[in-house]
Amino acid sequence: MQLTLWTYEGPPHVGAMRVATSMRDVHYVLHAPQGDTYADLLFTMIERHDRRPPVTYTTFQARDLGGDTAGLVRAAVRDAYERFRPAALLVGESCTAELLQDQPGALAQGMGIPVPVIPLELPSYSKKENWGAAETFYQLVRTLCAPLAPAPGSARLPRATGTAPKANLLGPTALGFRGRDDVHEVTRLLASLGVEVHVVAPLGASPDDLRRLPDADFNVCLHPEVARSACDWLRRTFGQPTVQTVPIGVGATRDFLAEVARVAGLDASVVADAERREGSRLPWYSRSVDSTYLTGKRVFVFGDGTHAAAAARVAVEEMGFALVGLGTYSREMAREVREAGARHGVEAFVSDDYLDVERRIAAAAPELVLGTQMERHIAKRLGIPCAVISAPIHVQDAPARHSPQMGWEGANVLFDTWVHPLMMGLEEHLLQMFRDDFEFHDGAAPSHLGGPARRATVEAPAPPEFDAHAVVAEVSIDEEDAPADDAPAPAQPPRWSTEAEGELRKVPFFVRGKARRNTETYAADRGIVLISLDTLYEAKAHHGR
Amino acid sequence: MATTISPRALPIREDGEGSVQVHLDPAEKIEGTLVVAVYGKGGIGKSTTSSNLSAALATLGKRVLQIGCDPKHDSTFTLTKRMVPTVIDVLETVEFHSEELRVDDFVYTGYRGVLCVEAGGPPAGTGCGGYVVGQTVKLLKEHHLLEDTDVVIFDVLGDVVCGGFAAPLQHAHRALIVTANDFDSIFAMNRIVAAIKAKAKNYRVRVGGVIANRSRDVDQIDRFNDRVGLTLAAHFPDCDAIRRSRLKKCTIFEMEPTEEVVAIQNEYLRLAQSLIDGVDPLLPEPLKDREIFDLLGYD
Repeated sequence: MQLTLWTYEGPPHVGAMRVATSMRDVHYVLHAPQGDTYADLLFTMIERHDRRPPVTYTTFQARDLGGDTAGLVRAAVRDAYERFRPAALLVGESCTAELLQDQPGALAQGMGIPVPVIPLELPSYSKKENWGAAETFYQLVRTLCAPLAPAPGSARLPRATGTAPKANLLGPTALGFRGRDDVHEVTRLLASLGVEVHVVAPLGASPDDLRRLPDADFNVCLHPEVARSACDWLRRTFGQPTVQTVPIGVGATRDFLAEVARVAGLDASVVADAERREGSRLPWYSRSVDSTYLTGKRVFVFGDGTHAAAAARVAVEEMGFALVGLGTYSREMAREVREAGARHGVEAFVSDDYLDVERRIAAAAPELVLGTQMERHIAKRLGIPCAVISAPIHVQDAPARHSPQMGWEGANVLFDTWVHPLMMGLEEHLLQMFRDDFEFHDGAAPSHLGGPARRATVEAPAPPEFDAHAVVAEVSIDEEDAPADDAPAPAQPPRWSTEAEGELRKVPFFVRGKARRNTETYAADRGIVLISLDTLYEAKAHHGR
Repeated sequence: MATTISPRALPIREDGEGSVQVHLDPAEKIEGTLVVAVYGKGGIGKSTTSSNLSAALATLGKRVLQIGCDPKHDSTFTLTKRMVPTVIDVLETVEFHSEELRVDDFVYTGYRGVLCVEAGGPPAGTGCGGYVVGQTVKLLKEHHLLEDTDVVIFDVLGDVVCGGFAAPLQHAHRALIVTANDFDSIFAMNRIVAAIKAKAKNYRVRVGGVIANRSRDVDQIDRFNDRVGLTLAAHFPDCDAIRRSRLKKCTIFEMEPTEEVVAIQNEYLRLAQSLIDGVDPLLPEPLKDREIFDLLGYD
């Protein structure tokens, strides 16, 4: 454990809140101090929910600790049930309350509440938010569906002829990345193959909906971070197969449709037909002439496991970018992300330390960062264009418009959101390059407003003459100061002449850092103390070879 | 001036009171499943007995999970027909980030669907065996394996050499003790009885019975059992088929069904059925070392 100012994932009870908030007729009693109620704001402020999460906090205070905190739990459970009359009750504790060892789940189970009471044991100090969401969803599904389970080993009945195949969409939750829009797109995708969506869960599902899960022919695991353990249990218990491909990008959408067709027992030709009818504009936009300058852009990808692995594939196979870094904060998804990295020639990393991620981004010197909101901040600091591809989300990531990541329309959205920052970056570069131009300097009036309004009155100061003699003199002084024996290379980085510094500014900002480092390394290797214009170009020629 | 409190004024406390270490972390508790721990002197045939018992339980239609808790990690050998990597081996490959693991990494399906796990152990002379068992149980719980299992069998190494290797007792309902009809293994059994008695103060574990192994006669065992309050749960004579099954990497249920083999199979099935039906808890009183010498002497 380490102290930090910010994290990619919250504690596991926040994951449980995400599941509870996604669902209908579920209430969550959370044994937690007053301070932990802040989590409500994540849903109402960031995702603009029109009601508070269905969570009752016991809100114990310091003075309660001398008394009966277990009594507080019992009162909160009773009151919450009386007031909200949920169809299922989740009972758990936050990281702070875990230390009290009140076992709220076990307490509530013994209270005779007439609906299923699901105790949540979420170890706050070893697990995180997504694990908490997955465990909560699993426990809900298991508690509600286990009574319906057939005897172990009994075979699943085949689908009645003449009926459409039915699929459950599992995994989308509140505070996920574009879950609402992805459900819409994936429903459309399945409809294009003639597959009906049976239940979507947790998003929008009630406990009764969860009891209907076993009736579907198969499950679609849209967010393995949340739904994998539930899908695995449904497969083991009810023999429901799981579609595992997450349809982010054109290639993955094709693979997804092919997997659905296979699992649903449909003819493979329906997939090509569906793409012909609908399809994405991404492939043509990527190939089109005005996008050719995007080819080979160096891109760094970081996010949750599902989105990071998917983005790596889209970046390389569909946009023609070069992947220079891939990472995730989802330990549970380390395997998939490492495999994606290996496929595209980079060694993927797992880290939940944003300072570590920042160091890696700076070292990789990418031209585009695809990440979470934290990578957006990092990219801004480093002056690199960025697009957000993954939770944790920001108010910007819950847009009013339809903006999916999955399916054909999702691929269109990916093209736009990833390419625009690069174009903006180029514009930024042009602005900087021409900022001293007589037409474009700060004092010049906009050309479309007609006529020059006022002349620039301040003369730009003449650039100082580059005095080669002075440099030689300085160098010789330095040499005299140096010890007589073979001294190691100076620890000080080489200095830049004004002229070379000016020339460096003409280098596009997104490769400037790299040009500066390369030149300094070149100079240091040769014992050059002052980088002149010539050094800059020699270094460029050297590294170009 | 602070008044000094005489030791007499302090309340007498049970073992574990006032300590958060002694009681099991509730996250590690195994609910809804029958948990059996098999103990006994080193080399007495615990692994063979455990594996044959697992096979018998599986034959009776139970979902069985066998956890080998021996650094030698060959407990489930006759079930899986190979040496499987241990939990500790697998955890090492992911630098102990257990979240990265999938069930298939450390659970292997053996004869008749018995799930097999080798906990492994710390390097010789270092670490803590209890930690290894704790990590294994935690991992199995996190992956929800114990919820879909009817019987869990812990096969624990040799004698109870330290508190660490008594860790499975914290999870178990019943402990079975494997012994032969000789002084050394009965002496070890006495120590195990003492360890279980200590654990039974805080945990639900009770002795379920004694398994006589590799012994034609059981007179010495009976004499000890009568004295301390134990009963014989099963009796396996010194049978070459059992030894050969081990060499053939298979359980007794996969051997040529000679009369001798079938008798042993039936004895395992009888033991398995009695565990399913529920064996009465025994509360034996261990003997002092002096007393056990007097009772059995040197033969």
